[in-house]
Amino acid sequence: MNPGPIALGAWLVWGVLAGLDLVTIPQGLLSRPIVAASVAGLLLGDPAAGLLAGVTLELYALDVLPIGAARYPDFGMAAVAAGAAAALGPSGMGPAFAGVIGLPMAIFGGWTLHRLRRWNAISMQRRLERVAAGDARAIWELQRNSFFRDGLRSVFVTLVGIAAVLVIVRIPWRDLHHLELLSYAAVSGGLVSVLSGAVRSSGYGARRRWLAVGIALGLFAVLVP
Amino acid sequence: MKPRSEALLRLYGVQAAWTYERMAGIGVGHAAAPLLRELYATRPAEERRAAVARSAEFFNSHPYLAGVAVGAVVRAERDGVPSAVISRLRTALSGPLGALGDQLIWAGEVPALIGFTIALVPWFGIWAVLGAVIVHNVLRYRLTAWGLDLGLREGLGVGAALQKSWLPRRAEDAQRLAAFAVGLAIPLAAWRLLEGLPLRGALGVVAVVLVGSLLAVAPATRSRVTGMRIGLGLLALALSIVGGLV
Repeated sequence: MNPGPIALGAWLVWGVLAGLDLVTIPQGLLSRPIVAASVAGLLLGDPAAGLLAGVTLELYALDVLPIGAARYPDFGMAAVAAGAAAALGPSGMGPAFAGVIGLPMAIFGGWTLHRLRRWNAISMQRRLERVAAGDARAIWELQRNSFFRDGLRSVFVTLVGIAAVLVIVRIPWRDLHHLELLSYAAVSGGLVSVLSGAVRSSGYGARRRWLAVGIALGLFAVLVP
Repeated sequence: MKPRSEALLRLYGVQAAWTYERMAGIGVGHAAAPLLRELYATRPAEERRAAVARSAEFFNSHPYLAGVAVGAVVRAERDGVPSAVISRLRTALSGPLGALGDQLIWAGEVPALIGFTIALVPWFGIWAVLGAVIVHNVLRYRLTAWGLDLGLREGLGVGAALQKSWLPRRAEDAQRLAAFAVGLAIPLAAWRLLEGLPLRGALGVVAVVLVGSLLAVAPATRSRVTGMRIGLGLLALALSIVGGLV
């Protein structure tokens, strides 16, 4: 299925918003995979498919703490691409596209974020004397330029995502055998991420007991109809 | 726009010019600028420039709590505190604001909200996602505004005020809630995403998840084995099978 120009434009705008939200502005949960992929699915006509792709990527993202100078994957624009692929591709492949498109895109997005920070540092070096002299204009220029740089990064990564999705959804997936393995692989990796991350971050005290209670209650909800 | 409102708005972009060298220093200087402009409106330009330069020095904290430092520094400038003491205040606030914010938000509120959202998806679908975005942004606005006001009110005493506030207790509570919500979400997400998987396949997934998680947690292997790497490895294997290479 080919998206029309309006859907493509909305996809690009949403990708840029998700890209900016991660670090630059407003850090309002828009770049979380479950949000980014659901909205992408909605824009391209299948929010439920986008939501499943988003839940799959969210399992990976829950293991990431975006702290200070840590380098981490950028799941926002990756989830936009995965959600769009889930909406445009064959039905039931949301988790598979989350793995096949979302994970490599997240790593690529994380790399561009690192490059952006180096780029910001070069820009800051140029204005160091003015900032040290208390020139408020120089501080404003640094903020404004960093915002535009992240905007450019987001446009670029989203365009890469659009190109990747438009190529991948053209593959005749339905002619291939054992297609469900892709979804199981993506979900299994996600479950390893979220479970191991939760065990590590819960430590040995009360938090681990809360984790155990949560898992037990979740199992109860699944197993008892 | 009033200086406080402008500073509050600018705090939403406090990490825009984040660099490894100065971290969020430029963003903090940018957020403090409207308040300093008002404060130094009738004072010599050199004093204002010195205050602006101090406000943009190295600073690192959780972005949602950077307002505490912005407010405290502006209040200290208003009280005529010596510049060396103001610089020390920024340095002293950096660690606790980072640690508290990371515990409260990145390891607490966000995973708790996402965990509950995933758990509610089977019943509420995309509405659960919309609810999470609204709840998060209301909490985020209130926390940012509370932090800025606390700093403006307490000045040099902001460290003690922070310690006596609700924040340290709620940070611990939020992490417990996050552990519970993520635990709740794991079986429900697996159930939703692996719908239709036959029993043998389900047992296979459970085995992979348990072994993978053990390797990702065990001290001897956790630096090399991550969920992301296992996921990519499994996907490569699945693609080989689907593509007829295996």
